[in-house]
Amino acid sequence: MQSLKAGHLDASRWERRLQKELMSLMKEPPPGVEVDGDQAEQNLSLWTVHMKGAEGTLYEGESFQLQFKFSPKYPFDSPEVTFIGSNIPVHPHVYSNGHICLSILTDDWSPALSVQSVCLSIVSMLSSCKEKKRPPDNSFYVKTCNKNPKKTKWWYHDDSV
Amino acid sequence: MGNCLKGSSADDISLLRGSESTADSSSSDQLGPPPPYRVESLPVYYPSPNISRPVTQLTEEEQVKIAKRLGLIQHLPTGIYDGCKKNRECVICMVEFQMEDCVRYLPCMHTYHVKCIDDWLMRSFTCPSCMEPVDAALLTSYETN
Ligand SMILES: [Zn+2]
Ligand SMILES: [Zn+2]
Repeated sequence: MQSLKAGHLDASRWERRLQKELMSLMKEPPPGVEVDGDQAEQNLSLWTVHMKGAEGTLYEGESFQLQFKFSPKYPFDSPEVTFIGSNIPVHPHVYSNGHICLSILTDDWSPALSVQSVCLSIVSMLSSCKEKKRPPDNSFYVKTCNKNPKKTKWWYHDDSV
Repeated sequence: MGNCLKGSSADDISLLRGSESTADSSSSDQLGPPPPYRVESLPVYYPSPNISRPVTQLTEEEQVKIAKRLGLIQHLPTGIYDGCKKNRECVICMVEFQMEDCVRYLPCMHTYHVKCIDDWLMRSFTCPSCMEPVDAALLTSYETN
């Protein structure tokens, strides 16, 4: 019988999964993606991922940094993923404080997803962009939002489309 | 790696594309007053996997729901991993199945460690790999068999 306070992998399975993800991301990173392996080794719950804008897209030649935070409930809880550093991509789904409006980071998360699949989604989100601009509610959102983007009740505008 | 990868990333793209067209009509690159994008008052998709509360704060209704959910989970078939090549790895803990492992089979035939999938099913009654909802109607037929 399982207890009601279950809901996370025990520490050793949590660590093994993240180690495994880190290894495969270092060995076979998606194009333009590079994880800071030393930093992640030191603290498995906080990763920095470097991302290059893909060639032939609006972000060609730019580089970005993503931060991944993993709670003890990962992978049942999604990682907290934000752009950090001096260059936050100007994109209709990226706020100037680095928060990303991407459904797989909240409602559509599944434990079958991984850091790698999140990176791929963000790459394709950037690559499919046709016009560099901030979300229409950027200034309001940045002033009022919680520091943790997962506390935001994102509204995916296209639900009715 | 997760076999739902293709499906979900395709969805993300269409999702993003869909919303671009709606955003295009407003002249958003001007820093005027914020447009009426009332994040708080919009429909909310929860209860989601992100929300959890200590058991002591659960209402009676929620406790009944949890008991029901536990009951449903118990109806899903379990077994000992038999070396089936189709399901080699539990995508939740990312560890390959060993011959003696206790596994649970979902109606979509995706297989997980019992202790891994049960924790997820308490949060969301869907298959992590294919996102198929675990069909409650199907479960009652297990019972009668
Ligand atoms: Zn497992
Ligand atoms: Zn499935």
